[in-house]
Amino acid sequence: MELADRIERFRRTLRVWARGLYHGMITHPAYEKIEKEAEDIEDAFMLACFPDAFGIPSPVSYYTAELLPYLEDTFEAWERRLWDRDSYIERKGQQYHF
Amino acid sequence: MEPFVFFGGKGGVGKTTVSCAYGVKSAQAGLDTLVVSTDPAHSVSDVFDQSFSDEPESVDGIAGLDAMEVDPETETQRHLDSIRNDLSEQVSAAMVNEINYQLEMAHQTPGAYESALFDRFVDVMRNADPYDRVVFDTAPTGNTLRLLGLPEFLEGWIDRLIHKRKKSIDLFEKAAIGSNEPRRMMEGDPVLERLQERKEFFEFAGEALQTDAAFFIVLNPDQLSVNETRRAISDMAERDLAVRGLVANKLTPEPEPEADGRGARYLRDRVATETERLQEVRETLDPPLVAEITTRTAEVKGDLLTDVAAELAIETTSEPPQSF
Repeated sequence: MELADRIERFRRTLRVWARGLYHGMITHPAYEKIEKEAEDIEDAFMLACFPDAFGIPSPVSYYTAELLPYLEDTFEAWERRLWDRDSYIERKGQQYHF
Repeated sequence: MEPFVFFGGKGGVGKTTVSCAYGVKSAQAGLDTLVVSTDPAHSVSDVFDQSFSDEPESVDGIAGLDAMEVDPETETQRHLDSIRNDLSEQVSAAMVNEINYQLEMAHQTPGAYESALFDRFVDVMRNADPYDRVVFDTAPTGNTLRLLGLPEFLEGWIDRLIHKRKKSIDLFEKAAIGSNEPRRMMEGDPVLERLQERKEFFEFAGEALQTDAAFFIVLNPDQLSVNETRRAISDMAERDLAVRGLVANKLTPEPEPEADGRGARYLRDRVATETERLQEVRETLDPPLVAEITTRTAEVKGDLLTDVAAELAIETTSEPPQSF
């Protein structure tokens, strides 16, 4: 009886650890990677919308200005990020947490 | 004929005079007519000796004729204000500064005036309801051509923006683990909604210009004007817009045959040159010459305008727009 309990407890701990490891090593990096990709594409979208924030004139900025009220939180963060970003490899390798 | 009629041409050839004359002609034929000036050097006010604003106002003494002058400055300001209005509803005060900077910059770019003009004239076409005919007095050729090319160009651009936005939202949705709420959602995304609205606006503009607009080019019988007309016709053909006809303006009157002074010789020589140019226009340019208007000794206003209107062989019938 006691042995069965101990086995049960061990298995539970093992399961938690296994799930944790699986999450930490497989799932989370994978989702993180997708999220990073989404952020990168969103940055590209922002740049296509507001290139004049970086001195590149755009024929559509008059129209994309209409989007600003809805991109408020993204806009400033994006601007800061683009002004000061590490190398591309650094950015792409971030999910490995060296 | 199409409900929207555009008059274009080189600067100073008499677009405004011809537009107003055609407006008068249409009104006299019983059509509710609106003359819209999109030329920043507004001269419609000068032709009718009456000042016009951004909203249609009736022209004194001519039944059924309204006129308006689109002012890009006012229009840009209006656009800016409406975005500011949206901003104050959405954004926290701390964020407004950075965004305001971007906003003001966007309204001072070289293209802002063009976009503002374009928006306004598409708006006029879209809300042309009470009018049977809208006559557009456009800015000199180059600007107008760029303006007419905008819908196609902008539609492509907006399409790419929509594609990018969708892709990033899709990934954000996929990156949401388990029951976590994704950071962006496709459904009800206000940015996509706005882009979609814009896309429809440009689609409408392209469609209306293709199916409901007739273009005429005003020219003077001299080499520069003829050359520019030739270029304009081919540029417009590239955009799939056909030029319906050409209006020759400011022709020199012929002297009496027996007159033989310096003035008469001058006129005779001048007429000979102009006849040659007009011959060139008839032979080498596709669109027909729909009017040959002799130059007047005084500004074309009042009764003179009616005279000139009679010289325009452009039909005045109007069919309702097909594009919406």
